[in-house]
Amino acid sequence: MSNKTEEKKKAASKPARRGWFGHLFHSASAEFADEMDAARAADVEAIVSPSRQIVNNFFERKLAVGALALLIIMFIVMFVGPLFMPKYKDSYTDVTQQNMAPNMSLMKVPKELKNDIKTIDGYGTFTVGLSNAGKVYVWGSTQLGTTGIDIGDIPEEVRNAKIAMVAAGYDHIIAIGEDGKIYGWGAWQLGQYDTEAEYLARGKETDPNIEFLSEDLRQNGVDVSHVKKLICGYQISCILMDDGSFHLWGNKRTYANMDLFLRTPSLDDIAFTLNYIVGLNGQHKTIYTGSRDLFTLVKDNVNSPAVKTSEFLGDRTIEALTATNKSVALTLSDGSVAFSGDFNLDCTPAPTLAEDEDYVQIVGGAYHYSALTNKGNVYSWGQNELDQTDLPKSTAGVTKLYHGSNQTYGVNDAGQLVTSWGLKGYLFGTDTRGANIFQRIIQGGKMTMTVGAVAVIISSVIGIIIGCVSGYFGGKIDIFLMRVAEIFSAIPFLPFAMILSAVMGHMNISETMRIFIIMCILGVLTWPGLARLVRGQVLLARESEYVTAAKSMGVKESVIAFKHILPNVMSVILVSLMLDFGTCMLTESSLSYLGFGVQYPRPTWGNMLNGANNATIINAFWWEWVFTSLFLAVTTICINIVGDALRDVMDPKSSAEK
Amino acid sequence: MGKYILKRFGYLLMVTVILSFILFMIYSLVPANRAYTDAQTEFKAMKNSIPKGEADKVLADLYLKYQRMYGTDTNNRVIRYLRWVGVYPLYNGKFDGLLEGNFGYSYDYKAPVVQMVKNPMLNTIKINIWATVIALAITIPLGIHCAVKRGSKRDQAVQVFTIIGYSLPTFLIAILFIWFFCGKLHLFPTNGMGTPGNTYTGFRKFADEMYYMALPLIVTTFCSLGGMTRYVRASMIDALSLDCIKTARAKGLREKVVIYSHAFRNALIPIVSLVVGWFLGIFGGSIMVENIFGWNGMGRIMITALRSADYDVVMLMQMFYIVISLLGTLLIDIIYGLVDPRVRVNK
Repeated sequence: MSNKTEEKKKAASKPARRGWFGHLFHSASAEFADEMDAARAADVEAIVSPSRQIVNNFFERKLAVGALALLIIMFIVMFVGPLFMPKYKDSYTDVTQQNMAPNMSLMKVPKELKNDIKTIDGYGTFTVGLSNAGKVYVWGSTQLGTTGIDIGDIPEEVRNAKIAMVAAGYDHIIAIGEDGKIYGWGAWQLGQYDTEAEYLARGKETDPNIEFLSEDLRQNGVDVSHVKKLICGYQISCILMDDGSFHLWGNKRTYANMDLFLRTPSLDDIAFTLNYIVGLNGQHKTIYTGSRDLFTLVKDNVNSPAVKTSEFLGDRTIEALTATNKSVALTLSDGSVAFSGDFNLDCTPAPTLAEDEDYVQIVGGAYHYSALTNKGNVYSWGQNELDQTDLPKSTAGVTKLYHGSNQTYGVNDAGQLVTSWGLKGYLFGTDTRGANIFQRIIQGGKMTMTVGAVAVIISSVIGIIIGCVSGYFGGKIDIFLMRVAEIFSAIPFLPFAMILSAVMGHMNISETMRIFIIMCILGVLTWPGLARLVRGQVLLARESEYVTAAKSMGVKESVIAFKHILPNVMSVILVSLMLDFGTCMLTESSLSYLGFGVQYPRPTWGNMLNGANNATIINAFWWEWVFTSLFLAVTTICINIVGDALRDVMDPKSSAEK
Repeated sequence: MGKYILKRFGYLLMVTVILSFILFMIYSLVPANRAYTDAQTEFKAMKNSIPKGEADKVLADLYLKYQRMYGTDTNNRVIRYLRWVGVYPLYNGKFDGLLEGNFGYSYDYKAPVVQMVKNPMLNTIKINIWATVIALAITIPLGIHCAVKRGSKRDQAVQVFTIIGYSLPTFLIAILFIWFFCGKLHLFPTNGMGTPGNTYTGFRKFADEMYYMALPLIVTTFCSLGGMTRYVRASMIDALSLDCIKTARAKGLREKVVIYSHAFRNALIPIVSLVVGWFLGIFGGSIMVENIFGWNGMGRIMITALRSADYDVVMLMQMFYIVISLLGTLLIDIIYGLVDPRVRVNK
């Protein structure tokens, strides 16, 4: 007997302090069992608390459990995923990578070409290669926008001819046969490879902004043995001969200084950035652009201060030019390299070479350079957003480098591909701005879920407090609070949120602040439903025995309302929170889709679908909406299935009827 | 009953006033000064005819003139609000506000707001009536069927589909349907309200309109299917568990009679309230659908006005939405009382 009382005292001296959640899952039976004999405890254990019953019932529903699992995976991916993308930038754009279909084979050199490489070249979304046997191969993303042209369809005459040189532009390829004949294929709409007569024959009117391929070149071709360089840019092409003369044709709109070059008689080297042609004329002392202020400043590394070209060079001369989209690399007469043009701040810098090490070859992609030195070392520098400068572990044996737009290929003396590095492709394609959709979906998911969650938290805090107060105290407070709730629920949601957002747009606040205010708007406009629900539940609970008991014990009113009643209505609130979370996510997406929510460059699933607002894009660029929609739909459907199942299993009536 | 309605009207009026005040205050946060812009415009137009040295004075006069015209010649926002409503006089002692029938002027359309809103309103009503009718014709039989055959395979399938239906945002459904019906099947036009430049009359005109209306109509209807079906099903399940149904069955009535005559009548009450709320919604229109399909309705007007900061229009539309939704709740309560004698409204 005394033993038992001691035990009781012990139990009383350290009362199990359990929180609301504790109460949810361990009903009195568990506490009761502590005081029982072991043998009898087994009987008590068999009584399952209502909450545990709910959990058990929930796990009987396969669909709901599957949805819950999917939802949890989604959450983990969205919140852990961004940690694996340190290079991701919200405002990243790339004109040469726009609207690319999902493709992971941008760097996959065809098997037939792998051991027989003569040359490889790439400027835009695809790469072209030429074997020593004179065969042309094209790989990468070969569908060109909405034109319906597949540049991978190599014309019959090219396949039959033995090709000597090939070069790729943004949306066209130019090849020169062994016999000097010039071939071109790909997009032709802006005069990429047509003569004027051919262009007119396609049913187009002539265009003063196009410099057509000359009739002479088409008829007589060029002398291949004297061609120094064949190079293509953004809808432009050039054949440079070793006597300095050159043939230049293409779209003048993209190259502002093209007219000046057309009047230039001879050049020693030529290269294309995205907007300007750069050349090297007789004296080799400056970069020739035809205009005054372009590429006049030179620096010895991508991040060092720039100086005037003449000061920098001293008595050295420029030997060759290599261009990327925004910058030019100059190979100097002493074997060193200098740079001109724009570089992002976070560029990988060029390496500092040892005294006796000199560059042998430099190639430039869209935003990166790769170089080979006389010691056989390979270096890459420039922008690294697409892994362009992440060198492979071993580059031994590489004696020649070739570039795609964001790839570098290392080839040995025998023409075999040794290694390649750079962008493999885009899992979900790219959007209209050239950004990686997969990365944006992960980042956008984080944003969408954060907005939804914060909005729900705001709305539930308001809703629970008002509901509890209103339900428990009743009377005038109740009437007043419920009238306020009615006013709030009378506000039409979407228009009002849009107005607030538009008003904010005219005020001068930061984007982060804006997003926070949007969360608040969503939260403040959704609380009345929850408040009413809580009030109803509290009204029911107020009449129950345990509240009467608490009252008779003299517990304070506010303590009863928030500590005794609230935990008992928690389960209902949780369901409502779940469903509200889905609703808030949907509303945020709708707002952002219309352009009144979170705005570009910050991604959310709503504003990522913003571009898919006309039939052309919806049909031609299906990847730009399918994946994002899928993520959004799966998440909201899962939330609703789980919430629905929870509500069903919590309703004692529905389970009894079954 | 009369007293109750009167009381509710009073309350409705109060809420409207409070909300309009809040709205007006929100708008006054926008740093736009219409009087100043207008004064500048007129000033520039007559610049050459102004004698030297008087330019500043002329501009100031013009500014004052416009400020007086718009009632913004005071910094007191409450007075501005009262003037907007029309219960506080302008500088010349005249009243010119909402109550006097001045609903504002659209700067985009260069027309009074009321006149400008007329056509879109008709368009919106046209599409929404069709949508309501079609949605009801589908959801009520479907909901009843699911409730009666509760737990069956077919019911479960419908349940899953309805969850999917109401989990998808409208714009997603619109994108999917455009892709499927326009991109793959080439059945419907993707936007517009009629063949451009047509001079059709009679049946031809109607057919053309329906052709263009088809896709937005399908999307609008589809979006409401999920929620409505679940609602009908839920209220029908409640009705089927009533004691009167047991009695009816015990009497030996045919199952059809039990379901349609006894149970459905009881289930009708919540459904009616839903339909009424919905019916009022037809004036508001769907911002999303109208925007995507280029349907010139109320929702589209709202969005264009918001984008171009045409705030007189936005204000009026917003007030309109609020009044509609308040009237909706009132109407639902009254109809509840009329349909269901068990609900005493004047309690």
